[in-house]
Amino acid sequence: MSVAAAATTTIPKQEHVETASKADRRRVRTAFAFLAPSLLGVILFLVIPIILVIFLSLVQWNLLTPMKWVGLSNYLNIFKYDGFGHSLAVTAYYVILNIPIQTAFALGMAMLLRRKMAGSGVIRVIAVLPFLATPVAMGVVWNWVFNPSTGLVNQFLGHLGITGPAWLSNEATAMPVIAFANIWQYAGYNMLFFLAGLGAIPLTMYEAASIDGASKWEQFRRVTLPLLRPTMLFVLVTGVIGSFQVFDTVYVMTAGGPGNATEVASLNIYNTAFAGFRIGEASAMSVVLFLVILAITIAQFRYFNKRITYEIA
Amino acid sequence: MTSVTTAVPAATAVTTGRASRLGKGARITLFYLLLLIIALIFILPYVMSIFGAFKPLSAILSQSPLRPPSPPTLANFKTIFTQYDFGRYLANTLLVTVILTAGQVTFSLMGAYAFARMEFPGRDSLFWLYLMTLMVPNIVTLVPLYVLFAHSHLLNTYWAIFLPYVLGVPFSVFLMRQYFMTIPKEVMEAARLDGCSEGRILWRIVVPISRPIIITATLLAFVFGWNNFMWPLIVTNSNSLNVLTVGIANFNSNFSVQWNLILAGALVALIPMVILFAIFQKHIVNSISLTGINR
Repeated sequence: MSVAAAATTTIPKQEHVETASKADRRRVRTAFAFLAPSLLGVILFLVIPIILVIFLSLVQWNLLTPMKWVGLSNYLNIFKYDGFGHSLAVTAYYVILNIPIQTAFALGMAMLLRRKMAGSGVIRVIAVLPFLATPVAMGVVWNWVFNPSTGLVNQFLGHLGITGPAWLSNEATAMPVIAFANIWQYAGYNMLFFLAGLGAIPLTMYEAASIDGASKWEQFRRVTLPLLRPTMLFVLVTGVIGSFQVFDTVYVMTAGGPGNATEVASLNIYNTAFAGFRIGEASAMSVVLFLVILAITIAQFRYFNKRITYEIA
Repeated sequence: MTSVTTAVPAATAVTTGRASRLGKGARITLFYLLLLIIALIFILPYVMSIFGAFKPLSAILSQSPLRPPSPPTLANFKTIFTQYDFGRYLANTLLVTVILTAGQVTFSLMGAYAFARMEFPGRDSLFWLYLMTLMVPNIVTLVPLYVLFAHSHLLNTYWAIFLPYVLGVPFSVFLMRQYFMTIPKEVMEAARLDGCSEGRILWRIVVPISRPIIITATLLAFVFGWNNFMWPLIVTNSNSLNVLTVGIANFNSNFSVQWNLILAGALVALIPMVILFAIFQKHIVNSISLTGINR
């Protein structure tokens, strides 16, 4: 479409080439002046680093001694010696704990707050507040809430006569607690997208469905969910990309422990690059993580594209 | 016979009417119960940490986290601001976040306007370049960016903390570009015929009618800058350059049992965001919705 628009606008311009060329040239200069800062930023801080990370993944380097070309061997070594396979599995486990519950919670709240009733506006606002909460600061608060002896959770369980686990130093519970922290932070944020999506579904759709004898559950499954697919795609894609990079809360709450039970991919990259100073291996990990995120994003688009067949005008 | 057939549906209508009325009361109770639970889940962590930050350590260790401090004490805040460097961390965070936000919004705005309403060779391919980089996760550029900054001798400076984000970011450019595309071309063309410069058109016409999206970009940049952790953690290693997030994380690993001080430190980062939220809550809620429209 933009190509067609550009083609139609160039035709009248060429007719006035003699008279307007000076003004045109000035306008092009202004356009590039407007574009220059952000273009410089994109090239220096995105394009060059992406090319550089691929190059660095093929060398052995500790930032001080000269680089040594090692070809693709970093890509083997990170799985053999650095437990990157484990890190990817742990990250995937985190995403699986996090995304379905967070999305269901967000959608559930949106369905609940959909109709304007007294009080629903206040909750809408309250639910978004955690989006602004500094993850590092919330991380230390959760450390306290889940502290085995002084934390709220185990104190509460104690009143019920249950001895709660040492949540964050227990292999089975550490990752679910980190996932909980993330769900708390982003459920309300995602709810807003679902509320916007639900608002775009015409009420006549539901009237037609109920005339056809569809129950509330059938209406949800056959009307609401299909028409929410574009919103669902957006929420899932952004959520998955973000979750695969989780770092702040893990760093503060477990630092990868107990053992390496919560050593997610980004933490492994961080440790390899900035504690071990093995830039080549850390770069290879970054490239692999990028490819994983890219593959999952493409898969999500494919899955949804096959199923989004109509849109509401 | 006709009277019988009409009587039956009338009777069922009455009973279903009563059932749904009974159900309505129960449903409203359930609705508000759920609202209460949701509100508690989101508010309770804030309330507890505020209570904790105003209690001495002994009270935190012996009392329920839900009990208000009696009497509340400012000793924890006094300690972290005088014996530790939280005043410095706060000032660093404010400085870096304000510079990052001002630069990112201004430069993204200019780029977005050029893409939306100006003509120049290579516009479409450059826009594609922005779209491609939009999809690159931050973690992927972390190591090479560090290498670049190390080579430019920029590590351990204020510059290092905000430089990668201050020249404008593709997401912000994209967000505002989509918004500017909705402004009719004729508005700019009329202004150009009147002899208006592009800069004047941008500041006097486009900016005033694009306030919602500019506020969105500003809030997103500010929240990002304020909460950013991994990058400042990597590029700074002196206490005097620490931002709040790095200060809190270091404090957490060095003094992990001093809950009173840790909670007070966490609140120094959390409370300004709560205040920002209280002032701009309508804008923030609308802002987030706006970022979803351009999917």
